Amino acid sequence: MRAVWCVDCDWDTKNVLTGSADNSCRLWDCETGKQLALLNTNSAVRTCGFDFSGNIIMFSTDKQMGYQCYLNFFDLRDPQQIEDNQPYLSIPCNDAKITSAVWGPLGEFVNAGHENGEINQFSAKSGEILKKAKEHSRQINDIQTSVDLTMFISASKDNTAKLFDSTSLEHIKTFKTERPVNSAAISPIMDHVVMGGGQEAMEVTTTSTRIGKFEARFFHAAYEEEFGRVKGHFGPINCVAFHPDGKSYSSGGEDGYVRIHYFDPQYFDFELEA
Amino acid sequence: FNPNWSRQMTILQESRSAPGFCLLKGSFSFHCHQVFAPGGFCYVSVNWSKSLVSTNSILMLPLYFLVCLFFVCVFVFAELLLDILREKPQEADGIDSVVVVDNVPQVGPERLEKLKNVIHKIFSKFGKITTEFYPEADGMTKGYIFLEYAAPTQALEAVKNADGYKLDKQHTFRVNLFTDFDKYMTISDEWETPEKQPFKDFGNMRHWIEDPDCRDQYSVIYEAGERTAIFSNDAKEPITAEERARWTETYVRWSPKGTYLATFHQRGIALWGGEKFKQIQRFSHQGVSLIDFSPCERYVVTFSPLMDTKEDPQAIIIWDILTGQKKRGFHCESSAHWPIFKWSHDGKFFARMTQDTLSIYETPSMGLLDKKSLKISGIKDFSWSPGDNIIAFWVPEDKDIPARVTLMQLPSRQEIRVRNLFNVVDCKLHWQRNGDYLCVKVDRTPKGTQGVVTNFEIFRMREKQVPVDVVEMKDSIIAFAWEPNGSKFAVLHGESPRINASFYHVKNNGKIELIKMFDKQQANSIFWSPQGQFMVLAGLRSMNGALAFVDTSDCTMMNIAEHYMASDVEWDPTGRYVVTSVSWWSHKVDNAYWLWTFQGRLLQKNNKDRFCQLLWRPRPPTLLSTDQIKMIKKDLKKYSKIFEQKDRLSQSKASKELVDKRRAMMEEYRRYRETAQQIYQEQKSIRLELRGGVDTDELDSNVDDWEEETIEFFINEEIIPLGDL
Repeated sequence: MRAVWCVDCDWDTKNVLTGSADNSCRLWDCETGKQLALLNTNSAVRTCGFDFSGNIIMFSTDKQMGYQCYLNFFDLRDPQQIEDNQPYLSIPCNDAKITSAVWGPLGEFVNAGHENGEINQFSAKSGEILKKAKEHSRQINDIQTSVDLTMFISASKDNTAKLFDSTSLEHIKTFKTERPVNSAAISPIMDHVVMGGGQEAMEVTTTSTRIGKFEARFFHAAYEEEFGRVKGHFGPINCVAFHPDGKSYSSGGEDGYVRIHYFDPQYFDFELEA
Repeated sequence: FNPNWSRQMTILQESRSAPGFCLLKGSFSFHCHQVFAPGGFCYVSVNWSKSLVSTNSILMLPLYFLVCLFFVCVFVFAELLLDILREKPQEADGIDSVVVVDNVPQVGPERLEKLKNVIHKIFSKFGKITTEFYPEADGMTKGYIFLEYAAPTQALEAVKNADGYKLDKQHTFRVNLFTDFDKYMTISDEWETPEKQPFKDFGNMRHWIEDPDCRDQYSVIYEAGERTAIFSNDAKEPITAEERARWTETYVRWSPKGTYLATFHQRGIALWGGEKFKQIQRFSHQGVSLIDFSPCERYVVTFSPLMDTKEDPQAIIIWDILTGQKKRGFHCESSAHWPIFKWSHDGKFFARMTQDTLSIYETPSMGLLDKKSLKISGIKDFSWSPGDNIIAFWVPEDKDIPARVTLMQLPSRQEIRVRNLFNVVDCKLHWQRNGDYLCVKVDRTPKGTQGVVTNFEIFRMREKQVPVDVVEMKDSIIAFAWEPNGSKFAVLHGESPRINASFYHVKNNGKIELIKMFDKQQANSIFWSPQGQFMVLAGLRSMNGALAFVDTSDCTMMNIAEHYMASDVEWDPTGRYVVTSVSWWSHKVDNAYWLWTFQGRLLQKNNKDRFCQLLWRPRPPTLLSTDQIKMIKKDLKKYSKIFEQKDRLSQSKASKELVDKRRAMMEEYRRYRETAQQIYQEQKSIRLELRGGVDTDELDSNVDDWEEETIEFFINEEIIPLGDL
């Protein structure tokens, strides 16, 4: 009924999971489009995802209208949970709500980013916080994993994106910009990351909107140095993602456009002097 | 109050309050009240208290009468005594109202009457002269006189206003209070040497000039004012010299020669300097909001809108920097046109303009020059020449007297040039930095038209009688700027989007030549290099930061660039670098400062969280003579070889450093990835299990996903004729 905040498909693209601001999380059959399950919640569903096996789903709900933020887990192999709308595990988050979350490499835990910049590792079995990381100073806008799920990159409003190890939550790299970062992704084949962001939607005024001003920025993952920018969007970029083969990337922006860019051969040969 | 007098009165008092002698059966007593009011006046009241007197004896009646008479006599006598005592001339009485006037012409009896009239005319302005005394010797007046006023306040007025009065060329009155003589004569012969203040060694105040690579410093305020840092400017990247949190509460200012950094605080300002930026001096001025330095760095002027009382002017205070003393305070109605006090280039004078008045003060006395302000009816604006002690001011039209610009020499107050202007709407004064030229931008409405046209009246200060040339401009003027040490000026004129930049040369032959005009420029401000020749035309703020770098020796555009939303442009004091910046005070994102060469080549982009302000540290004037500078310019090739070598060395060092850094980072990253890969491999079995035996580790690792497809390609066509069969 309202905005869809998140979408994820399982590893062989059989099912699709969506979460929406209409206080529900739905499961769909990807081929037919048939709704397989409806899970109602008390507040908007902000983030959702299938684990590595595709059997367990997690989603987080917003802190809204008196309801707390919860991280819920359902086992799809147990139809009773779906029918009763009873997650086998529901973790409350008392302070800062979860803004983005991804599964760990083997489905044992979920790495969640919060509104205050914290990253917590929640066990998918017990619900306890296994590890914490407080590296960002402001809200985490997006978390995306590397293709092998061993690392993830967090994009934050504090104008940086940071690379973490998925299991140890060790902070590995930081990429600095002078604008809030809305989304970041790790290249599957090169040591590159791409970041997209821009001004706060509120701060964009008619005088400062310039054609092609908002750029996707490419950083070298090891050197933390920016080596390229792609112009084209004329509004802040909300989301970036690499194609699984690493030969192209896509970006979606506030301007209502999704842009797909294929890399030139020079991109793959490019090396910073070292 | 004469102590003897009171004692006498007490004796009288005592004698009178002795219990009255007893007459007959009754007793008389009376007592006398004396009330001594502060003015030395006293009033006496006498109370009689009579107890019952027996009236038995008729014989007593004459006796009573006698006794009463006696007492009355005593009473009257006492009163008279009091009066006399009261009027007894005392040393303190009347002295306070006496002034001594020296340097009075010595005249004989025939001119004495005339002299007395003149003196009377001058000095009766301050009050009522009750007595005058002209001591004589050998038939002539001695040359000094005594005047007594009705009240000490009048005597003070006379001293304040008549001291220094020039009667004629040879006679300037010196007026003093008579009591002052006494005061100064009774100064003790014993003199205690004042306690020696320990010498506060702040180190080498010019330490930054001795940087071996001649790096200039600049101050940066960022984090919305929370942090202030001083950097040394290096083409590669800024080197931090000092960084402090909450160093200032609002902003900072450098002194004109770069010696001090001034910071603002609620309670006043502080000056910092030396190698480590120690606090040199502090000036307490509650609520200070604006400051100004004298060009010689001897004085600092502070303004606060808070503290001002009628008796004690505190709105503007002038301080001596070295001693920390408050020299003088002034009233100030509004700080709209700061600095209110404009300094002469050598710091000898400072002046301010109020309604119809120009007040010029001299240092170090801080008193009005010639003891009075200049009455200039209608004065609208003034400014000092940056090269000489000359003030330029203008007054608008007054009935049939045209508007005029006047150049006045100080301290002689001689008007060296007056220029009449007609139909004037407004004038602005622009001095060339060395004082060689003055440009007066005159906006006029010519007779019979409605519109406003602008002329530039160029005064050639270095030529005899200051000739004036006029340049007429057709459009409205956006900006005007002189080349700092040359004879060119640049003008931005027109209306957006057709803004033109024109360059003029003031030639020696009396002509002012238009060298070049660039049209359709995106510019609203002109920034000349402090060394001249080069300049930046910038379109700041609403023009989105368009930049044009111009070489005015041949008027070519060296580079056209942009710093989006730039709000400020600052040249370094040597004219080698330009900084453009986006201040958080004007734009809330992309706050940074960019460093360019004077030719417009971008060297650095420095992002600073909520960057607010960058100010270059000024340099003191060079110690080299013009001949020495000529010699250096001659040998420039020799020096540039050495410098280029040095640059190359540091360049390769920098890239080597960068390369080393990258290598180290890559190694570290590789190590991490290897460990992660190892763990990944070890977990393969778990992954297979989770996905029901399907291997998804590689994109093409799942053989089941493979599809076989046969495609035919056209490779070649060969035509074989079968005709030979």
